[in-house]
Amino acid sequence: MSDTGVPSYLIPRVSPEAAEFFAGALRGELRIQRCPNCGLHHHYPRLACPHCGSERLEWITATGLGSLHSFTVIRQNGIPPFKEQVPFVVGLVDLDEPGARFIAQLPTVAPEDAVIGMRLRATYRPASDEVAFVDFGPDA
Amino acid sequence: MTRRVCVAGVGLADGPKTPDLSALMLQAQAFGRAAADANMTKQEIDGLASAGYGGMHEVQLAEYLGLTPHWLDSTSCGGSSFEFHLLHAYRAIQAGDVDTVAIVYGNNEFSAAGRSLGTGRAGGGGAAAMPYPMSWELPTGLTLVGAYAMAAQRHMHQYGTTSEQLASISVQTREHAGRNPNAMYRDPITVDDVLGSRLVADPLHKLDCCVVSDGGCAIVLTTEERAKESGRPLVYVRGAAAGMTHHSIQAMPDLTVTAGAVTGPKAFTEAGISPADVDTFQMYDSFTYTVLVCLEDLGFAPKGEGGPFVASGALRLGGALPTNTDGGGLSATHPGMRGLFLMCEAVRQLRGEAGDSQVDGAEIAVAHGSGGWLSTMGTVVFGTEPA
Ligand SMILES: [Zn+2]
Repeated sequence: MSDTGVPSYLIPRVSPEAAEFFAGALRGELRIQRCPNCGLHHHYPRLACPHCGSERLEWITATGLGSLHSFTVIRQNGIPPFKEQVPFVVGLVDLDEPGARFIAQLPTVAPEDAVIGMRLRATYRPASDEVAFVDFGPDA
Repeated sequence: MTRRVCVAGVGLADGPKTPDLSALMLQAQAFGRAAADANMTKQEIDGLASAGYGGMHEVQLAEYLGLTPHWLDSTSCGGSSFEFHLLHAYRAIQAGDVDTVAIVYGNNEFSAAGRSLGTGRAGGGGAAAMPYPMSWELPTGLTLVGAYAMAAQRHMHQYGTTSEQLASISVQTREHAGRNPNAMYRDPITVDDVLGSRLVADPLHKLDCCVVSDGGCAIVLTTEERAKESGRPLVYVRGAAAGMTHHSIQAMPDLTVTAGAVTGPKAFTEAGISPADVDTFQMYDSFTYTVLVCLEDLGFAPKGEGGPFVASGALRLGGALPTNTDGGGLSATHPGMRGLFLMCEAVRQLRGEAGDSQVDGAEIAVAHGSGGWLSTMGTVVFGTEPA
């Protein structure tokens, strides 16, 4: 794969429970786990449902849509490439699938435009042959 | 009947800047001063608790001090580790498993690294070496300050809390630092100074963030009988509780409620007190928001009304709830973790040894530690009388 510009120290090792997530992200799909027992979703992927404890989980393709639950504007981060990217917005996104909250960069949202409750849509950014990051931007 | 437990000794290492002292030297200095304060030899101390950043830190410290304790606690859950230590030691002494426990912390955070404001989070190994939960946050560029900032932002959205109200916490804490000759920053500041300092992670400014200092602290916990022999004013542990909600900020169930909402009432119930009985509050002020949300969670202000409460001047000496009377982490001392310093200041207040920052006639003091990213919480109630 060509150089994505993401330094190796920011690319996570693909843990077994997260393999499906990253495979989906590389295809441009937001794959998350749903628990048939309690009906809730969660992210990040786990062996068992963090809401009810059931190990009988299923993978679904989420809509990729959500609402901004909260955010901050990072104005100081000593680590490259963030050091050069400041200021940028990082948000907690409540996915439309109940129970799942996602932390992501909002690279296309200007600091002054971030508003709690704004509607967002996932985008996908390959970082290596095995990993793609999920960002969120305005759902326009 | 369980045994009553008292603090027999407290000790502070040199600070806030000690370029000639290593972390272990700061720990040993604080330990020696706390043991001397308790009129004890080190041989009398049969339990040791400490938290650090490596493995087996309490064992390293025991060896360095020449101790061979039969009771150890290395709970390491961030800045509130020491409230967890106290809870565990309190129960173990009550039960008779151990008689005398020293809780020790020290670090040359400032001299070793300088001020980074919690804004460099990757560490040596990066995401591949990060704990799995944190590996989802790190690639977003979120910082430690940013995690707290997202929680503060949500509180503002839900309750109308303002940056001015958060800033007033820094202002009142700095007033107390002005009375502490060992505080890192002592010159008075205004709300405008805080709002005029640069934003680190919106809505938190530089002066909403704790300092980075060197320092060390130790306390010696023992039975009521042994504490009486020390000849120091008696300070009882009346109640303690600890808990957690999450590791990474994405998993915090409610950004406006911490585990303090459980640990506070639980400790108060054991202590037989209500928030109105508290004469002074020592609160882990990693950031102004940490103070605000925990004031609500412990019941000093109703949920959502922490902003008006702090803006009223309640945290001042002479206010409704004199808080962080030593100048806190915001202005005085924060050598990486601060949970132990809270308990030291609580004890000094109840002994009447808090100098220019003394709360007259203080009988009940509460220390509340926060660790991680509002992750782990511990509440301890001290009193001049047993519960
Ligand atoms: Zn479930």
